[in-house]
Amino acid sequence: MTTKHSAVPTTYSPSPTSRSKPSVSKDSIVDWVRPDGRGYRQCRPAFFRTGAVNAASGSAYAEFGNTKVIVSVFGPRESKKAMMYSDVGRLNCNVGFTTFATPIRGQGSDHKEFSSLLHKALEGAIILETFPKTTVDVFALVLESGGSDLPVIISCASVALADAGIMMYDLVAAVSMSCLGKNLVIDPITEEESYQDGSLMITCMPSRYEVTQLTVIGEWSTPEINEAMELCLDACSKLAEIMRSSLKEVVSGSQE
Amino acid sequence: MFCGKEDKLETMELPNDSGDLGSEMEVDAFRRLFPLRFYERHLAESIRPDARPLSRARDTTVALGAVASANGSALAKIGSTTMLAAIKMEVMTPSVELPDEGCIAIEFHMPPICSPLVRPGRPAEVAPVVSKQLSDTILSSGMINLKELSLVSGKAAWMAYLDIYCLDADGALFDAALLSAVAAFSHLQIPVVSLNDDGKIVMLSEEQDDGNLDKGAVNKEKRKIALSSIPFSLTCVLHKNYILADPTAEEESIMETVVTVVLDSSNQLVSLYKPGGPVLARTSVLQDCVALTRQRIKELQNILDEAISGMEVD
Repeated sequence: MTTKHSAVPTTYSPSPTSRSKPSVSKDSIVDWVRPDGRGYRQCRPAFFRTGAVNAASGSAYAEFGNTKVIVSVFGPRESKKAMMYSDVGRLNCNVGFTTFATPIRGQGSDHKEFSSLLHKALEGAIILETFPKTTVDVFALVLESGGSDLPVIISCASVALADAGIMMYDLVAAVSMSCLGKNLVIDPITEEESYQDGSLMITCMPSRYEVTQLTVIGEWSTPEINEAMELCLDACSKLAEIMRSSLKEVVSGSQE
Repeated sequence: MFCGKEDKLETMELPNDSGDLGSEMEVDAFRRLFPLRFYERHLAESIRPDARPLSRARDTTVALGAVASANGSALAKIGSTTMLAAIKMEVMTPSVELPDEGCIAIEFHMPPICSPLVRPGRPAEVAPVVSKQLSDTILSSGMINLKELSLVSGKAAWMAYLDIYCLDADGALFDAALLSAVAAFSHLQIPVVSLNDDGKIVMLSEEQDDGNLDKGAVNKEKRKIALSSIPFSLTCVLHKNYILADPTAEEESIMETVVTVVLDSSNQLVSLYKPGGPVLARTSVLQDCVALTRQRIKELQNILDEAISGMEVD
């Protein structure tokens, strides 16, 4: 007790922190071996479950390998007092990390941009006209970060919005890809993301074949981008099937 | 207009009324408009709206090892209230006054996902209160001997960061948080470490284990923390002469007097919180609360033991 209050001692994690990064360049890596033994074009098994949080209007839990996310949706409810009058509804997004989400404690808070990226990915899919003057809050918490966090958050948020009964044009599915040397790997884990030369993420509405967000970071050649986009769009439509079936499960279960 | 309707509604709520959809809708409206009266009508029949007797706690589950990246973790559920606790072990230099003791830092978080009342940037008022109660309870219960967290006297000791996240808030937050914290400690596996040449503590990986054991491994035998006298708690809500064990968020918001009793596994009183509220707690009421807690900790002890033995089978 006394030690705790007098001065918080500086601590460090005993796990080896600075792993020697292999020099990854276009020439040196010919064949990247995925640490979890997947093929380059193989996504991790995806799991969705709605109704994870009873206190929320709608919620979903998503698990892709070690990436575990909960998203709660609140509202439509009264907008903040300071907000101007608006004919259309507002969407408010926030992404948080637990302190134990990352191998080293408290590093998850580095991703401040996730909240606005989540907002932009979802905004186009939601029919904002259906809840004028009010706000829908979408809050995400990353329980464990295992790579491809943002696409998992976005897909999970769209399932949570559907669970809350918010009107959407379509579900939003998101898939990312990493470029490691000459290799393109889909749905990368944290280790692959740390070695990547470039990354690409697509969020789309598969039934309408419309893209709501596309981010390309790092070194890419045009043919690589085209190939990656094809692969991501294909993976998105498969992912949307899984998301849809998780929503159907609940409905058919409750009717029994 | 409301007064007339209210009388009508009260008659509609009687049990002999058939449960067609129309009347159920009215009951729901009555519940929202006159929550206290709604509850009092139930309490008079010694039953709660969720069909529990007054003294019964909700279904409780504990799952150990929910977070792979932590050294110890647990998920505890009491009804809908869900808590995820995880412990990460880091190394610190112990203070000069206490060279043989480690440290435990406990923090309770209420992220915006857990309740409509919490918004980002505006943290819940209760979070720091529960945080303080938890660290007071855990550190003063003597559950953990801080000397066990020592590695090299005066040079290195463990700092156990215990973070508890509320994933779903539906009343009795402290009870669920304490249960998840205790369960996380019982799941804790301390990594094997050694002192390297720079005076830093480093983790021994699996393959190094056999060759380097004599050289390193300052804590070969201390892989688990011995837990003595584990604290368990029960929160009760007081209203008039009624005592409601393990309240939901709705019950806590309607009837504001809360009493939390913490007992350890040998039935010794660890702490008792009664933070204000309109109902004065008489001695007899407090004794009843303690008696209810005594029954409850037997259940909790069994639930925890089952979770631990379930882990050992795997």
